[in-house]
Amino acid sequence: MPIDPSMEPMLEVFIYETTTLLDQLDEILLDSEKSKCFNSDNIDAIFRIMHTIKGSAAMMDFKGISTLAHAVEDVFYIIREDTSRMDRVSEAIFELVFQSSDFFKEQIEEVQNDHDATGDPTSLINQLERLAAVMQGKDTPEEPGGPAQAAAPAEQAPPADGFCRIRVHFEDGCQMENIRAFMLMSQLKDLCEEITSDPANPESDAGLCSEIIKNGFLVICKPSVPLEELYQVIENAVNVSSYEPIEPAQPAPEAAPAPTASEPEPAPAPAPVQQAEKPQQAPPPKQPAQQPAGTTPGLPKAKQSLVSVNQTKLDQLMDLVGELVTTESMVASNPDLRGLQLDNFNKSTRELRKLTDELQDIVMSIRMVPLSGVFQKMARLVRDMSKKLGKEVEFVTAGGETEVDKTINEAIGDPFMHMIRNSMDHGIEPTEERIAAGKPAVGRVSMEAKNVGGEIVIIISDDGGGLDTERIMRKARESGLLTKPESEYTDREIFGMIMLPGFSTNQEVTEYSGRGVGMDVVRQNIEKIGGSLTIDSKRGEGSTFTIKIPLTLAIVDGMELQVGDTTYTMSITSIQQSFKVSEDVRILYNTDDTEMVMIRGECFPLIRLHQLFDAPTEVTKLEDGILLLIESGENKACIFADALLGEQQVVVKPFPNFLNKYSVKKIGLSGCTILGDGSISLILDANNLLNLSKERRM
Amino acid sequence: MAAQATTAANTAERLDDLHGRYLTFHMGKIVYGIELAHVLDIVNVPMITRVPGLPNYIKGIINLRGKVAPVIDVRLKFNQPERAYDDKTCIIVVSIRDMKVGLIVDSVVEVLTIDDSESSPPPDLGINSSDKYLKSIAKVEGRGVIMNIDCEKFFQNDLNPF
Repeated sequence: MPIDPSMEPMLEVFIYETTTLLDQLDEILLDSEKSKCFNSDNIDAIFRIMHTIKGSAAMMDFKGISTLAHAVEDVFYIIREDTSRMDRVSEAIFELVFQSSDFFKEQIEEVQNDHDATGDPTSLINQLERLAAVMQGKDTPEEPGGPAQAAAPAEQAPPADGFCRIRVHFEDGCQMENIRAFMLMSQLKDLCEEITSDPANPESDAGLCSEIIKNGFLVICKPSVPLEELYQVIENAVNVSSYEPIEPAQPAPEAAPAPTASEPEPAPAPAPVQQAEKPQQAPPPKQPAQQPAGTTPGLPKAKQSLVSVNQTKLDQLMDLVGELVTTESMVASNPDLRGLQLDNFNKSTRELRKLTDELQDIVMSIRMVPLSGVFQKMARLVRDMSKKLGKEVEFVTAGGETEVDKTINEAIGDPFMHMIRNSMDHGIEPTEERIAAGKPAVGRVSMEAKNVGGEIVIIISDDGGGLDTERIMRKARESGLLTKPESEYTDREIFGMIMLPGFSTNQEVTEYSGRGVGMDVVRQNIEKIGGSLTIDSKRGEGSTFTIKIPLTLAIVDGMELQVGDTTYTMSITSIQQSFKVSEDVRILYNTDDTEMVMIRGECFPLIRLHQLFDAPTEVTKLEDGILLLIESGENKACIFADALLGEQQVVVKPFPNFLNKYSVKKIGLSGCTILGDGSISLILDANNLLNLSKERRM
Repeated sequence: MAAQATTAANTAERLDDLHGRYLTFHMGKIVYGIELAHVLDIVNVPMITRVPGLPNYIKGIINLRGKVAPVIDVRLKFNQPERAYDDKTCIIVVSIRDMKVGLIVDSVVEVLTIDDSESSPPPDLGINSSDKYLKSIAKVEGRGVIMNIDCEKFFQNDLNPF
């Protein structure tokens, strides 16, 4: 069932919140698993996370998610009561909770794509329930009597203390039930000696609304005035549709909240039994004790100063700032002002420039996200794989706080996953082999990120077997990938071969890697975002993969070139040198009349931009224009342009979607940018240009 | 005149039912109409950046208040001889499937309400190459014949992925 359209705006919040919580959950789980047990903080945190997910999923009507969250919550409820219960089954708990977390993630993805979650968690729930039963079963002696007996004290304990319970229902559709409940509580506070409620502290969590709508709001208080007076206040409260005092002697069996409400009471023991008895309808057990501490359940305090923003808004802001910067330089260097003596004006524009620069920096920084999220995903991957492959591996990370542009952050997840898989699968040897080789039994995979200049360098290394150059050579020979005599290959070149399409050295195809589409896809993905990948390895000691990626895709340090009346931008990182054709530069001609340039004894193909782009220009003699030696990966070539206009930082914009049909990108243009004077410059893609010229030569 | 049309298109009319309302423009001696619902803006011809690898009628891309938009020369699209742009030449910015595209036309005339009864479907066998892009041909009192362009048909070639 697709969700109610009125819920659409909530959906985004739901997805964001739940994803954040699940990330937190994974982090806690990985941490706890390392120490092989849950500490009480972690148990509380998981409990809160599950509770929040359950609440919001129920509100969005995603039953699969909410029931599973409920089952996990139950298990942790039992654990919280007595941590010793989980000793025997801890491994099973970790496994199940990890699986549940995966289930949630799949569901969230489904929600994101189809606006609906259809997964069926029944088998997971059954396993969780069995687990809960095992933990409880073991403890039955401690719980005096069966559920029947246990329920009795729960019913009788409260009246003995002079407490009365009132269930309040709010009018349908009055909204913000949690706040209304809170207002009611504050009204009643003065009339009671003690007062508490279920759910406790309703104002703290808007997610509780759905619960209040469903179960009503239970007030538990010890009135200091006659009961009638109390009822009067409740009756007169705004939006209260009905209320019912719950007679302690006859709690309705379906009035599930009743037993839980006894939690804050001095008799908490029976609650868990009730909980185990009917986990499906039991209410969320919420302990007031944990509520006052953190106002938003499941979120650590540090996050309270963060605001989540829709990414399209950020992109708009980015566009606007780009426009502002452009307009500013249009004003400051307006041709109308030429030749005028404008001291004050110049002073003001300088001031303005300073401000816009600052603004641009800040907007750019908003788009930056730390790599720690990616690292955490890798940690999870290492954990899962080490279980499956039976290899004990320690995963070490450093520099998780390094920030990259959000689009880059999204693009690097897959390649990294591939590399970590490779390291785990092919790199790290089985334990016996490691011991035989005199290495520590536990393998080590590390991931380190650092900011070097305008680039981020990420190093993934393992202390496994390293790359086998002989085997790579053999494989390359078999696949016909060799292009020169074998003895001429350097180690680096040999390692580079594993990044060629269709290369995989692992003899067996495993679940995780070795389908022959490994490293070349990784390389392609990294190159797509303007990065590079180098491999280093030592036989028997391990391998190191070094990835360099640009800080951001949105801004490029470019060199402006003029061809005809069009301006082109070439990324400075791709330019090796620029030069005029003079006597020490020789132009050679191929048999098919294509031109080549010989510099310092090396020969490079020549690409005339005006020919390639069919742009009319008066500069066609090489001596009149300028040559640029460009490089991308292994390929190099010289391009010929009319003139260099200078260096400029440009904001990259994609071509309009309307032009998608025409493969502008294939002919070596990656996007466009608006220059300071409002004109448009086309951005050249060195990689494509070079591939294109290579294809043409073949 | 362009400015007037812009204001007209942007303000009051925008709120009204746009059905039957057309922006008319000149191409040579013929008057064409385009549904006002598609029209976003009318601007003067700025500097056009030529992009290689495009069909000849897509003149290139322009900077439309910080956004990059392609521009189509309607003359070339209609296989009419190209004409140098003058100060009457304008770009009608239209929105098609949430994309902005500029149409270079000889000059913009006015915003007009055309009653359904005044228009008739185009002939099956057109005489002009532009006929296949037409939605209807209208005869309006005091305005003569107006050829109404069907935006979907007009852009079909570019929107079709193959």
